[in-house]
Amino acid sequence: MSLPGNRTRVLCKFFAHGACLKGEHCEFSHDWKDPANNVCTFYQKGACAYGSRCRYDHVKVSQRQASASSSAYPYQFAVSESVNASSASATAVPGLIGELSASSRPYISPAKPAWGEGSGQDDLLNDVIGQSRSTNPADIVMCSFAAAGNCPRGDNCPHVHGDLCPTCRKQCLHPFRPDEREEHRKSCEKKHKHLEALKHSQEIECSVCLERVLSKPTAAERKFGLLSECDHPFCISCIRNWRSSSPTSGMDVNSALRSCPICRKLSYFVIPSVIWYATKDEKQEIVDSYKARLRSIDCRHFDFGNGACPFGTSCFYKHAYRDGRLEEVVLRHLGDEDGQTVIAKDIRWLIGEVGIWGMLRKGYFFKMY
Amino acid sequence: MANVSRIHRELMQFSKDQSILGMSLMADDDDVRHLTATIPGPTSTPYDGGIFHLDITLPDGYPFDPPKMRFTTKVWHPNISSQTGAICLDILKNNWSPALNLKTALISLQALLSSPEPNDPQDAVVAKQYLGDYATFVATARRWTEDFAKASSANFSGKVHKLVEMGFPEALVKKTLEAVGGDENMALERLCPK
Repeated sequence: MSLPGNRTRVLCKFFAHGACLKGEHCEFSHDWKDPANNVCTFYQKGACAYGSRCRYDHVKVSQRQASASSSAYPYQFAVSESVNASSASATAVPGLIGELSASSRPYISPAKPAWGEGSGQDDLLNDVIGQSRSTNPADIVMCSFAAAGNCPRGDNCPHVHGDLCPTCRKQCLHPFRPDEREEHRKSCEKKHKHLEALKHSQEIECSVCLERVLSKPTAAERKFGLLSECDHPFCISCIRNWRSSSPTSGMDVNSALRSCPICRKLSYFVIPSVIWYATKDEKQEIVDSYKARLRSIDCRHFDFGNGACPFGTSCFYKHAYRDGRLEEVVLRHLGDEDGQTVIAKDIRWLIGEVGIWGMLRKGYFFKMY
Repeated sequence: MANVSRIHRELMQFSKDQSILGMSLMADDDDVRHLTATIPGPTSTPYDGGIFHLDITLPDGYPFDPPKMRFTTKVWHPNISSQTGAICLDILKNNWSPALNLKTALISLQALLSSPEPNDPQDAVVAKQYLGDYATFVATARRWTEDFAKASSANFSGKVHKLVEMGFPEALVKKTLEAVGGDENMALERLCPK
């Protein structure tokens, strides 16, 4: 029988799918370099109900290897831990089915597992109980019912109930894992704050269509359009509509269309957001995450260096070449009337003033050094 | 297509504030994009005591395009055409914003009545008089208010009643009377089939 220490570590399949609840206490490897185990355990026992449609490999391996990397293994290990103190008998299978029954008496397994021959089942269980005897309190597995909010077994539950989280009111804080407690507390608080903000946002009305933004008929419309320079609420469709509407005669684009419809403060961009912020910091957070998101998307004007982006270095999108190299930031120099060189700090402002064709006509680009 | 639900919301909101403002706003039965409004003349101006009628048309782009407003009551004012009732006001043109609405536009019009801008005129004749001979301007504006804005409000319903008794439909009578600024004879002339 191989011990966890000297066995080659197998990639945790829950980790591979993006969510392993055990975190650093997981028995399996959370390192992408380790090989994934893709062997179907049911096939090893002789019968896989999925047949050729099974997502796992149908190959024969030796009995020991199969049991060590069984797909049902993580579950059984999890529950057997707390039971082995009272009844280490092999007949009390604390399997997934036992976990689901709400009765407080010990669960007696059916003589034969429903899914197969079950010849290797007892060996497997003995292996599990044998190797998992541990004294580290951090290895204790908590009751998942209590962690989810309510354990029907109450005080009779053989599993450890976690401490109460003050934010989510669930018994989900592990008594012996300080890191995990802290992590949960943080994420829980963040979630709670987000919910509060969302609740508050429900009340906010768009000043243009006069409707509650989050009660609009289609999902695409249920978004705020934040203006960078002021704090007046609009829905994304209204503010984009206004900013893109064609200017009527005598209307100045910068002072009318690009400004806030209420306070007329000029904003250069609109940030879509599903929640409305309460503080400056929250707004900054929304703006930053929006910009970070755009920075991961390749700019279609820049087109991996094949095109030219009119926004230049102030573009929110990624300017990278095909080989992954980022565009170098080069200061743009413009010649002014006296033949002196000036640095065009805000190329967008210039474009806003005369338009890109206007700049071409005036020879701005040809004067560049 | 104009945002109909916003227009309905505006009308609902307006009806709450109506009594405080002393204004009225009515949508046509068959088309919410065509409305009529009345605003009282501001006190301590030549327009005091008059009720001024307006014809409002909301363009397809409303609220992103400004509403089209026109006085149907004749007004003597440098920024309002004495012939057509066309209004020269920046927020109804290039300073329009979708956060403005019919209520704020009507309040702005009332403010325009109390503080004319003769340097940016709509009616050059009135503006010239306002700048050159203010006393005459005030007298003319007051007389126009007496003749067109007050008469119509004082016995408007009486005139409507009279014309309805002659056999014209009430809605048509009201509309025609408003169009001619409350002049009973002119209304009758228009109503009679040629």
